Amino acid sequence: MTEAIRLPPAVEARLKEVGTAEVLIGIPSFNNARTIGHVVRAAAAGLAKHFPGARSIIVNSDGGSKDGTSDVVAAAEFQAPSTILVSHALSPVHKIVTPYDGIPGKGSAFRTIFAIAARLGAKACAVVDADLRSITPEWIELLVGPVLKQGFDFVAPLYLRHKYDGTITNSIVYPLTRALYGKEVRQPIGGDFGFSGRLASHYLTKPVWESNVARFGIDIWMTSTALADGFRVCQAFLGAKIHDAKDPGADLAAMFVQVVSSVFDLMSTYRERWRAVQGAENVPLFGFPHGVGLEPVRVNVERMQGIFRQGSRDLGEIWQKALDKDTLGDVLFIAAAEGRPFHFPDSLWVRVVYDFAAAYERRVLPEDQLLGSMVPLYLGRTASFVLQTADSGPEEVEAIIKGLAEEYLRQKSYLLQRWGEQPGGA
Amino acid sequence: MWEFLNDVIRKTLTGFGERMAAFGPNILAMLVILLAGILIAGAVHFVLKLLLPRLGFDRFAQRLGLSLILEKGGIRRPASAALAAAFAWAVLAIFVLLAIGALNLQFAMDLVSRTFSYLPQVIIAAGLLLLGALVSAFLRRSVLIAAVNAGLPSARLLAGGVHTALMVLFAAMALEHLGVGRQVILVSFTILFGGVVFALSLAFGLAGRDLARGFLERLVRGPDSEKKGDELHHL
Repeated sequence: MTEAIRLPPAVEARLKEVGTAEVLIGIPSFNNARTIGHVVRAAAAGLAKHFPGARSIIVNSDGGSKDGTSDVVAAAEFQAPSTILVSHALSPVHKIVTPYDGIPGKGSAFRTIFAIAARLGAKACAVVDADLRSITPEWIELLVGPVLKQGFDFVAPLYLRHKYDGTITNSIVYPLTRALYGKEVRQPIGGDFGFSGRLASHYLTKPVWESNVARFGIDIWMTSTALADGFRVCQAFLGAKIHDAKDPGADLAAMFVQVVSSVFDLMSTYRERWRAVQGAENVPLFGFPHGVGLEPVRVNVERMQGIFRQGSRDLGEIWQKALDKDTLGDVLFIAAAEGRPFHFPDSLWVRVVYDFAAAYERRVLPEDQLLGSMVPLYLGRTASFVLQTADSGPEEVEAIIKGLAEEYLRQKSYLLQRWGEQPGGA
Repeated sequence: MWEFLNDVIRKTLTGFGERMAAFGPNILAMLVILLAGILIAGAVHFVLKLLLPRLGFDRFAQRLGLSLILEKGGIRRPASAALAAAFAWAVLAIFVLLAIGALNLQFAMDLVSRTFSYLPQVIIAAGLLLLGALVSAFLRRSVLIAAVNAGLPSARLLAGGVHTALMVLFAAMALEHLGVGRQVILVSFTILFGGVVFALSLAFGLAGRDLARGFLERLVRGPDSEKKGDELHHL
């Protein structure tokens, strides 16, 4: 609830001073001094250019940065280059910098942003990552416009990404969300979203802020909640997403567990909703899709295959608890295939994901262990995908991902069957 | 002569009768207590066997790793049934001790008193062993998964080492509580543990200098110091 969120007295005073706002842009941050200045300026320029008549505010919800992130935001000048502005803001864009309360993570930062949006009575909001390098003022129009002008409640981003970028999204989150809720949302965990004030208030009513939703799970939670609770959803094409370089392999297991457990928790919450859904339909798309050049991505396939094979040797007793006997047999067969080309078929991968979802629901093991043991399987599947698409162009890769999404739909009856099984059924 | 014999037999029988008259109620009490113990133990077994599965105990035990430990110990039945049986036997054992106490014999009283005074240690030791089995099994799994995900080739060895070390630690604690060979256990454990640490230090220092350097570099300079040749953004 809104009342439960404590804000620093200085922020409370600032909120009183601002009174109300029509459009709110939220930027969660943690040690993003290098990039956040650009993000704030792009957001301010977007507000001035596309919503000049609206009372607007930019909120930076910071997780205790030590690199002067908050100072950069506070010092950011909102005087955008006049060359890109046809019109100028009639009212000044306000700015609030606030630390957030709760479990350290993006979700807690968002919660503070939702609370401020509710307090100011914002009609439309957008959240954008603080490490973005490719954000332009047009992103604000694309994320906020459909809410303010078309009455949508949730705007999911659609980016152009390298074929090896977003492999958890492509192999689990996108196709599973599509099969569960029946809507074609290509980037359910994109990270940059637009949403209505009504939806922000709805988010605040959910008691999820002590779970993984407070961390990496926030993105899929926002998307799934909007889809499952019947809010109007659309997508906006934002172009390429380029963000600050960081170690992509950093604690993959923790990230994987947080995201996948959030997806599985939502399956439990909305079980009655997704059981009845059949097929998947497109949602309206805003923006103008175009091709852009993407930087190549280096991938170490041997390492992934090595971890998958080691998992098949060492984690058999754990996989046995989650996987169906035939599924486990097929996985072990692939892992043992030294002489044959390495291939993890779509149908088998979908069975693996559905088996783990059902095992998660049955609580056969603590979530960290159950989903941690799924990481080698995910790496095996990713290695197979990389090998399969080594010479493929973007359209071809997209078709392969669509094919996987269709496989998730085809096997939904298998999920329903496994979901209903009693403990010990694996 | 006959008179004397008759008198002796009569006195013996009278004495036996008097002793029986005095001791009989104790035997009767013992039998009643035993019977009550059997009935109560049976009732406890029945109720727990019925109640525990409904409270989701089997699922809880499976999550905790208790079912796996029981399986490894050759107990194939559900954890709820095993716990119900254990409780029933414990109740019966208590009633047996009470029944022996009811005989009001000196040695029986001593036995009961000694058993009851030793019982807390036994329960604590059993609890420590069970806790050790659970904790070591849990950590073994966590270490195994983390090591596999980190691509360490000796993941099983590492996990097995953690499991064994923890079990030895808990077993030593349990024996210490029971007061069995206190000094021997302490000295053995100190030598064993010290030896293992020394051996590992040598192995890490001599054979794994590069690994140690890499580890320290990552620790001091952060994960960016090591390029694994992977630029995937998984989310």
